[in-house]
Amino acid sequence: MAEQEFPTRYHGYNVLDKSSSPDWDDQTREVVRRRLEEVPPVRFLTAEEARTLAAIAERIIPQPDRSENEKVPIVPFIDEKLFKDEGDGYRYEELPPQREAWRLGLAGVDEAAQALFAGKSFVELDPLSQDVVLTHVARGDALGAAWKRMPAARFFKSVLCITVVKTYYSHPLAWNEIGYSGPSSPRGHVRKWEGGVDPWEAQEVR
Amino acid sequence: MREKENKDWTLRAPGIHGECVPMCDRAREEVDFCIVGAGAGGGVVGAKLAEAGFSVVILDAGPHWNPVKDFVSDEVASRKLFWTDERITGGDDAVELGANNSGKGVGGSTVHYSMIAMRAHPEDFRRRTLEGEVPGADMQDWPVTFEDLEPYYEEVEEALQIAGPTRYPWGRRRKRYPQREHELNASAQVLVRGCMKLGIPVAPAPIATLSAPHRDRPPCVYRGFCNYGCTTNAKSSILVTYIPRAIAAGAEVRANSMVARIEHDEHGRVTGVLHFHKRSSELFRQRARNVVLAGYAVETPRLLLNSSSTLFPDGLANSSGLVGKCFMLHTGEQVFAKFPDHISQYKAPPPGGAITEHFNRTMPDVDFICGYTIEVVGPHPVDFAARLATARGMWGATLRRTMLDYNYYSGLGIVGEVLPQWGNIVKLHGTERDGYGLPVAHVVFSFHKNDKQIVAHAKEKMKEILRAAGGEDVWSADRTAHLLGTCRMGADPSDSVVNRDCRAHDVPNLFICDGSVFPTSTAVNPSLTIEAIAARTADRISEMARRGELKNV
Repeated sequence: MAEQEFPTRYHGYNVLDKSSSPDWDDQTREVVRRRLEEVPPVRFLTAEEARTLAAIAERIIPQPDRSENEKVPIVPFIDEKLFKDEGDGYRYEELPPQREAWRLGLAGVDEAAQALFAGKSFVELDPLSQDVVLTHVARGDALGAAWKRMPAARFFKSVLCITVVKTYYSHPLAWNEIGYSGPSSPRGHVRKWEGGVDPWEAQEVR
Repeated sequence: MREKENKDWTLRAPGIHGECVPMCDRAREEVDFCIVGAGAGGGVVGAKLAEAGFSVVILDAGPHWNPVKDFVSDEVASRKLFWTDERITGGDDAVELGANNSGKGVGGSTVHYSMIAMRAHPEDFRRRTLEGEVPGADMQDWPVTFEDLEPYYEEVEEALQIAGPTRYPWGRRRKRYPQREHELNASAQVLVRGCMKLGIPVAPAPIATLSAPHRDRPPCVYRGFCNYGCTTNAKSSILVTYIPRAIAAGAEVRANSMVARIEHDEHGRVTGVLHFHKRSSELFRQRARNVVLAGYAVETPRLLLNSSSTLFPDGLANSSGLVGKCFMLHTGEQVFAKFPDHISQYKAPPPGGAITEHFNRTMPDVDFICGYTIEVVGPHPVDFAARLATARGMWGATLRRTMLDYNYYSGLGIVGEVLPQWGNIVKLHGTERDGYGLPVAHVVFSFHKNDKQIVAHAKEKMKEILRAAGGEDVWSADRTAHLLGTCRMGADPSDSVVNRDCRAHDVPNLFICDGSVFPTSTAVNPSLTIEAIAARTADRISEMARRGELKNV
């Protein structure tokens, strides 16, 4: 049932099958290996914040088709960015520094949940109610003290949502389902015209 | 050659094939030219000055990349290529900085640029004359003409071995591009088909990427990771073209060296720079008879403002008050549509792209001036999904399901002209400091009405083109690209920062040579014009030195 929700065109495609082919150079192999095998521990967020973020991530990119330990990990990579305080090179003037923005934003999502659903925290809500909360945050009309200090819509669009989405689509499991050829150095591509698919790219199963 | 024998060739720099090359150590000398920034401006001017026999140091805040080892075929791991130090962005239309437009490291933004190598047009240098006064904007003619830059466009096109069509339909008649055009990719085929249906002229794009072997560099294999660093050296970045020339000619390219301030003497002449090196908190002094600033339109004004002193209380070279003013960029609206055939847009980066400059002009039947160029784009999944999230407000199962058709989307994007406005500025932030303790840049930007009209027109045209080509589910994403203005060139010292030779009006031995000197933005990708200005500036400097107009050189 859950698998049907996200019907891939590329059954059986695994981008990692190419990792010892001329499509992958050593440095790329190492980067992807680390992403798969060395999922960082949560060091910046509190256990409670991490739980809230995990629940939010599951609504922004739902993975009902995967068991808990099969899911693309999202929280650890966001936590690592915050732990190392790796910036993006710019900050909107209405936002506080990123560590503060995330702490405030996660608290704000909980405040919005409590305001809408009789004091329940975000993780206690069913998925539909969670979506209602996130819709309010995305629209910028969520309730809560946090959103008096930081505009909810800007936080959702430019910090929360985009970071979750980027984390998911940097993972080979995501590349598989969309048929992305992935790393391609040094071989590159030949059939780059409309309808063209190289034999070493994802083949569509119709 | 005499230089080679006498100088101290004890340093080693990364070559472009993973080897090490000998490099001069110039840390202890007073060099003729200290160049700040090793990108499109600094790399070209540095190489040419070194080849002209001057002693040169080129400083860059970031690393000296080894293309075959450091560049990774991965969107997220490539964040190291970008300027990720904090900057504050605001205004009605706050600009996305970082990976969107700011490089860090030797080669600068050309390491990740899209390589679209276009000349500006004769009209671009005379916008004020042609359009008259525009309310709310501060249009100026350039103090150089197209004819001044034309031989330098040709020079850098040859140096970068631009691959382009036999006949390019727009602009002044030109000689053939050094290399043949790339075979069109799927997104370009879409643009061509749409344009042909609508009667819009279209052509293969001129690209700074080899289509045939050139010296020690191979042709493009279409990896598709152009915006994340080229691992095969087919891409003609400054890192693999002018930088090796600079080093071979005796320049020292000093990486990981963030410049904190430019120093001057009591007569107001610059004497060198103070810079950090790697993670050290100690400041190093590089003495220089002349300084060339080439840090791009945010870091260049930031450094001038951070170099204020009792003699220059408002920042160096800022008697006009124009340093940091008239900050510009390009609108970069993108439109995507879904097609029945595989597009695989990751294979559709610039090499093999197509272009139309049909709307790059003031059109007779619209109520705005200037225009835009349409090009093809091909974001990889992380970037494409981010567009769906931010532009379409998509998240949840809808986003994941839409992404399943990633390979079927094709995209177009523009380079749209943005008018110069006094209120768009780069200034120092009042309280925020970077890792070195230096005040960070605060960029404030809002569109002019004309900018928005250009975007609205372009959006409709791109939608028409994609629909005419057979596209469905057509959607658009607001974007910007490039950084320009903030130290504009001009004849009048009260109304510009540098003169036509990129020499600061206030400080005779200070030059600025990057995108900051643009008085207007043009509607073409700026790298070739930055490089042409840098190439011309180097020649002008050599002439001035020959005539004895540069002190002590």
